[in-house]
Amino acid sequence: MSMTLGVFVRKNRPHWQRLEAMLGEIEMRGPRKTSRTFLQELSALYRATTADLAFAQTHYRGTTLLLFLHQLVARAHNQIYRPHRFSFRKASRFFRGEIPQAAREHLQAITWAAIVFLLGTAMGVSAVQFDERAASIVLPTPILDSIYSGHMWTGNIFSVVPAPVASTFLFTNNISVALLAFAGGLSFGLITSWILFQNGFMLGVVFKLCANYGLLGALLEFIAGHGLLEISAIIVSGGAGFVVANALLNPGSYSRKDALAAQGRSAVRMAIACVPALVAAGCIEGFISPAAFPLGFKVSLGLALSGVFWAYLFFTGRSARVGPVKAAPTL
Amino acid sequence: MNLSTSLWDARKTELELPEEIDLQLEMANAGSRTLAILVDLALCGMVLFVVYGFTALIMGDRTGDFISRIGGHILVILFLLLIFGVQWVYFTFFEWIWNGQTPGKRLLRLRVIKVDGTPVSGIDVLLRNLSRPIDTFGPMGLIGLLMIFIGRKAQRLGDLMAQTLVIHETAIDWSIFDEIKSPAGATPGSAIRAPAIHLTSVQWELLHRYLNRRENLQADTRQRLALSLYESLKPLVKGTDLELSPLPPEDWLVELARRT
Repeated sequence: MSMTLGVFVRKNRPHWQRLEAMLGEIEMRGPRKTSRTFLQELSALYRATTADLAFAQTHYRGTTLLLFLHQLVARAHNQIYRPHRFSFRKASRFFRGEIPQAAREHLQAITWAAIVFLLGTAMGVSAVQFDERAASIVLPTPILDSIYSGHMWTGNIFSVVPAPVASTFLFTNNISVALLAFAGGLSFGLITSWILFQNGFMLGVVFKLCANYGLLGALLEFIAGHGLLEISAIIVSGGAGFVVANALLNPGSYSRKDALAAQGRSAVRMAIACVPALVAAGCIEGFISPAAFPLGFKVSLGLALSGVFWAYLFFTGRSARVGPVKAAPTL
Repeated sequence: MNLSTSLWDARKTELELPEEIDLQLEMANAGSRTLAILVDLALCGMVLFVVYGFTALIMGDRTGDFISRIGGHILVILFLLLIFGVQWVYFTFFEWIWNGQTPGKRLLRLRVIKVDGTPVSGIDVLLRNLSRPIDTFGPMGLIGLLMIFIGRKAQRLGDLMAQTLVIHETAIDWSIFDEIKSPAGATPGSAIRAPAIHLTSVQWELLHRYLNRRENLQADTRQRLALSLYESLKPLVKGTDLELSPLPPEDWLVELARRT
C-alpha cells in the first residue's frame, strides 16, 4: 500500500466535501443559476475526485470509502452530463414531429386496436339482440331504468352535476383508461385488449338498447360532439399498448428487454397524444353535449375535432424542420 | 470473523463512465423502495384527506349560499384532479424536476438513474411511472416486487421499459478516519522504534471503525468485539514485538493502529 487509508482520507477529504457541498447546491438550484467560476471549480473537483476514485479502486478495495467515492463521482457525473432539462424547441419538435411520426410508424397496431374495439361493439350489439338482460352486465341500474322508460339518462345526471365537475370527472377518468391501455401492453396486451373490448362492448350495448327503445336519435345527438374523438383517442392509446405487447411477444432479432425499451419509448408518444384529445372530449361531453346546442353544431364539432386529431397523427411532422425521429434508439 | 469479505453485501451494479472508470453503485433493495413508495403515498394521502375534508364540509352544507356552492364545486374539481395527479403525475413530476427523486426517495436516499449511469430525462421517468398500475399499485405490486427480488439489476417492468435503475446513496461515516484517542494507561512513544505492520485497507477500516466507535459501545460488546478483532488480526503481527505483547486486547488494538 503506497499510502495508508487514513493519510489518503485526511489529505483529500476537504475537496471531496467541497464537491459534495457544491453538488448539493447545484442539485437544488439547477445549473443555469450558477456562475461560470462555480462550474469551473465543479468540473476541476470532479476530475480530481475521479482520479482519487481510480486510485482508491486500485489500493482500497472493499472499503466504505471506495463506495463513498463511487457515489460521489456518480452524483457529480449526473450534474456534469445531465441532459437539457427543458427547451421549447425540443418540446415543439416532440409534439410537431415525434408524436405523429410514432403514430405512423405503428399504424398496424392502431388498426388492431380498432379491430378489437369494433369486435367489442359487435359483440355488445349482438348480446343485447340475443338477450336484453345482457345490458345489466355493463350498465348501472339507473341508466337502464331511464332507457326502459324511454328517456335519455344524460338529462338526469347532467342536471345534478355541474358541467365543470362533470368534465373534470370525465376527462380524468378517460385519460386514466387511455394510459392504462398503454401500460397494459406490459401484460402482454391482455389488459389493453380487455379495455378496448370492454369499451367497445359498452358502446354496442348502449347503441342497441337505445335503438330498441326509440332513443337512437337522442343518443346520436348526445355523443355527436365528443364520441368520435373519445373513441379515436382510446384506439390510439390501445394501439400504443399493442406496440409494447408486440415488443414482448415478437421481439424479432432483439432481446425482449431491448425491444421493450425501444418500442415503449416510441409508443408512449402515442399515449401522450391522447391526453389533450381526451381533455377536449371531456369538456365537450360536460359542457356542450348535454346542452341544447343545435344538432348541426354538435355533429360538425365532433367531426372537425376527430378529423383534426387523425390529420395531426397522419399528415403532420413530415417536414425537414421537425426532423425525422432517430430510426431506432441505440440498443 | 472473516475480514476478507466486502463490507457492504448489497447488490452492486457496474456502470462505465466516459472517464473509463467502472462505477459501482449500490442497488436499492425491495424494502427501501417499498418504504419510499409508502412515504410518497402517505404524503399524497394526507393532501387528499385535507382536501376531502374541506369538500365534505362545504358540500355537506345543503342550505349553503351561491358562493359556498361554487367553492364546493371547485373543491370537488380539485379533488378529482388530485386523485388523477397521485395516480399519474406525482411520481413523474418529482422524478423529473428532482433528478430521479421523489420526496419518499429523497428521505430514503434513493435515486433513479439510467442504466448507463446518466441522469434520467422526462420521457424516462414518464415511461417508468406510467407502468405503475401494472407493476406497483395494489395487488399488481407483487409483480414489481418479484422482479426487484430476482432481477440482477432489480428492475421492475417500468424500469426495463425506461432503461432505468434505482440506486441507494449511503452516507459515509467520517469518524472512522478520525485520529485514534489513546486510552489513559497507554504508553506513548513506543511506536517510534517499532516496525510498521501491514494491514489491508479493509482491515484498516475495520480496526479504525471499532476504535472510533468503542466509546459508544456497551462494556461487554466492547470487550467481545475487541477480543474478536484481536484474534483475527493477531496472525498479522508475527515476528514483531506486538506478537508477544502483554497488552489487553483493546490496548493492543490501539497499539496496532498506531503502527500502521
